[in-house]
Amino acid sequence: MREVIFHSVMIFLALLWIYPYFWMFLTSFKLPEEMFTRFWPTRLTLEHYNFIFHMSKKLQRPFVRAFLNSVFISTIVTFSVIITAAIIAYPLAKLRIKGRNVVFNFIIFQMLFPGFMFIIPLFVLVKNLGLLNTYRAMILPYLMSAWAVFMMIQSYKSIPKDYIEAAKIDGANVLWIIFKVMVPLARGTVAIVGLFTFNGIWDNFMWPLIVVKDYNKMPLSVLLATFNHEYASYVGPLLAGSVLQTIPMVLIFVIFRKHFLQGISMSFK
Amino acid sequence: MTLRKRESLTGWGITSTYLAYMAVFWGYPFVWMFILAFTKWRFFGSPKFYGLRNFMRVFRDPMFWTVFTNTLTFMMYFLPMVLTGAMIFALAVKRMKYLKTFVTLSFLVAYISSGVAYSIVFMNIFSDVGPINHFLYKHFGITIPWLTSPQLAMLTIALMVTWKFIGYYGLILYSGLQAIPKSLYEAAELDGANNWIKFWKITVPLINPAIVTVLVLSINLSFGIFTEPYMITGGGPMNKTMTFMMYMYETAFQRIRPSYATAFAIVTALINYGLIIAVRKAVEREVSVV
Repeated sequence: MREVIFHSVMIFLALLWIYPYFWMFLTSFKLPEEMFTRFWPTRLTLEHYNFIFHMSKKLQRPFVRAFLNSVFISTIVTFSVIITAAIIAYPLAKLRIKGRNVVFNFIIFQMLFPGFMFIIPLFVLVKNLGLLNTYRAMILPYLMSAWAVFMMIQSYKSIPKDYIEAAKIDGANVLWIIFKVMVPLARGTVAIVGLFTFNGIWDNFMWPLIVVKDYNKMPLSVLLATFNHEYASYVGPLLAGSVLQTIPMVLIFVIFRKHFLQGISMSFK
Repeated sequence: MTLRKRESLTGWGITSTYLAYMAVFWGYPFVWMFILAFTKWRFFGSPKFYGLRNFMRVFRDPMFWTVFTNTLTFMMYFLPMVLTGAMIFALAVKRMKYLKTFVTLSFLVAYISSGVAYSIVFMNIFSDVGPINHFLYKHFGITIPWLTSPQLAMLTIALMVTWKFIGYYGLILYSGLQAIPKSLYEAAELDGANNWIKFWKITVPLINPAIVTVLVLSINLSFGIFTEPYMITGGGPMNKTMTFMMYMYETAFQRIRPSYATAFAIVTALINYGLIIAVRKAVEREVSVV
């Protein structure tokens, strides 16, 4: 009996925790007059989605384009971070080179600084390069990541040298060793790096808010925020936009949930 | 060429790519951070040397102290809520026999919510006509000005952030719990220890590293809060939800005082570090299971 009550409480709490998601999803299909008055709608409507997919263009708020911008930026950055980290971590974990420890300590040193300290100086750099209001401003500063390299180094360190020696005897070159031997053996870490990078860039808000003012180049997070400031009473379209903004993150989480759970216990060690 | 030499050549070839990239996108801003902090500059013309005056101004700025108090208020709400919540979550998940995955994932899905989207959602859930006030009015005849009252706004934001992070922090504690050998509890039971004693004498000391991790993460997070107040309150009402990041952003990019804002960011980071070091000193213990 105690077990039943305990489990019911936990399930109730779990449902309470997804309630905001559920409310967002359901309300984005409700008629405006029922949004705040009824829990279960009498009738579902697609008008809010119709608004963000078609009508918002006339207001110069291209939601679909912003969604594609976010996909574009997040995908490029994620792949770049994974590939560069996979390559760069290899010599730092496995090759006997002079100054390896110096570079490794430099990476640790980089990770000591909170990101917010770099926002204004990085803005100066992007401005001096003439990149304000371009996609490059949102992509170039994130192409390589000290954290990702660090994670890959830690993961490579646990791979036995024999694998590499065997590949070398077969005449494999460095890139072959990295992508055919190391990366497959470290795929858990690769998944974690990819997942956190994708979510981080998809949900990045302050940086694109600062460097992009052109509505056609904004990622969805920023477009949604400006729309929220200007049209706060358009609750339906705002929630439909929020659903759009949430779906890729939740989808990737559901697909990679196993790695995600592993990643959490790793990040704690 | 010897094998050793070739190895070192490829190694440095690869490593230097990283260093070259970081020279531009990390080193250059790093240098600019100091140029900005010690000069007076407004994005145009050449920076004028200003000594330590930017830093002195930070401490004379009344907004700095407002923001400082607001962050302390936030932490006073957030840290106890998220720490007890995460601890209860971890212990409960460990005890669960069925539907463990479902419950864990429900709490974790909050963690991967998008900052902008969940701000919009909670803004409406907590609004005067939102579902929470609707419920309160129907059953208790009251409504609560969650986001418009200066006393409550920060608490409401702390509640939202707690919602987001309990699952994540809870799992960090949970993986700490998993590492505690069962035999310790059995031995304590033989000595007649009850659950309360077992919790404080075995569980808490042994998951100390996990607790420290959660504390460090949540303190860092408290200094970095930006999206929620930016989206929901704009720093108001009466500047009660103005955070370090909000003020840095507004100073640098709306009032166009980047050099002052950089000094402000450096002071913020130093306070952040100071607090982390103090908390580690106070809480961190050497743990060894014999």
